[in-house]
Amino acid sequence: MRTLVFIPAWNEAASVADVIVDVRERLPGADVLVIDDGSTDATAARAREAGAIVASLPFNQGLGAALQTGYLYALRGGYDFCAHLDADGQHPPAEVERLLAEVYADRADLVLGSRYRDPAARLDTSGEAEDEGADYRPTLSRRIGTSVFRFFLTLATRQRFTDTTSGMRAANRRVMTLFSENYSPDFAEIESLQLAVRQGLRVEEVPVRMLERAGGHSFLTPLKSAFFIFKGMIVLLVGQFRPRRVEAER
Amino acid sequence: MSVLLAAAEPKVQLTSQTRILAAAIALIFMAMILELIRRDRLQERYSVVWFVAGLGMLAGAAFPGLLGVVADLMGVRDTNVALFSIILLLLLGLALNFSVIMSRQSAQITRLAQERAIEEARRQAGSGDEALEPEERRARP
Repeated sequence: MRTLVFIPAWNEAASVADVIVDVRERLPGADVLVIDDGSTDATAARAREAGAIVASLPFNQGLGAALQTGYLYALRGGYDFCAHLDADGQHPPAEVERLLAEVYADRADLVLGSRYRDPAARLDTSGEAEDEGADYRPTLSRRIGTSVFRFFLTLATRQRFTDTTSGMRAANRRVMTLFSENYSPDFAEIESLQLAVRQGLRVEEVPVRMLERAGGHSFLTPLKSAFFIFKGMIVLLVGQFRPRRVEAER
Repeated sequence: MSVLLAAAEPKVQLTSQTRILAAAIALIFMAMILELIRRDRLQERYSVVWFVAGLGMLAGAAFPGLLGVVADLMGVRDTNVALFSIILLLLLGLALNFSVIMSRQSAQITRLAQERAIEEARRQAGSGDEALEPEERRARP
């Protein structure tokens, strides 16, 4: 049983090495791949020094294309499971380990780490607790975006999601096969969830703890957020009209 | 009164001067397209639509009555409006066509970049490694 942990990185030279070291320490059995999305800084060099395999895209293609590169690498390499986390140090590898445990146990095909689901909710029978993690304080525009996406994605998939843009996920080969072919380069996080649910895959959210960013800045300004939300709604709407293909393998 | 008079007037009024000018422009346009193809600046498959546009222009210049017929078919009284509507729709269609082509090529470029990156990463991961085994040979769990 082989596992690949991949990390999409775009100009994250400041934090990528620490993340790799953490992942290797915490998940010694997994191979670590960094997808350098056309970085202009020393991201690729830092990642190699830290002992990761590096796949360098020749120019910046966006998060969706970078993640798809990871899924494609995992599929081609014959990995049984894969997981990905952000390069900015927001995602503790210990939490990735918990996501992987879910796919190892075959309880789900795709597992997301949600920073909005209270860890206590797992023990809670109601499971409805939705308080924000104590370690994570989102900005206002992010909070608005999160609730809008949460609402529409829940509407589209008839499944409750709390952290739709979570960049911490674990997956098995069914998901690799799907995402390596069908993955929107523009709106990776949300559309991929919609796609997976529509294809009949088991998607599950697991509460995780996330940290403040170790380096770099969030790209979201209020205007960009508004555009981001608008684009996301269109993507979700269009996604509802895509053909539903039930995977033969299930 | 003047409205009635205007409606009774012949629908297309093109002087022979404008007709010659339009025909010349159409011919120059098509010659330009040929030249672009000859110099490998334009691919044949993308030139068809432009040739059709050039021929349409030429036909309009040669048979001015044609536009009147089209306007009648559209139920438009003013032939100028008919002409501009047709051109506008044509350009809209072309622009959409280009967006479709662009999307396809953008997807192809992305895949090419990904393949290259993966190839390079696998080489780094080490040849002969189990990781290099093609997925086709792999037995599913």
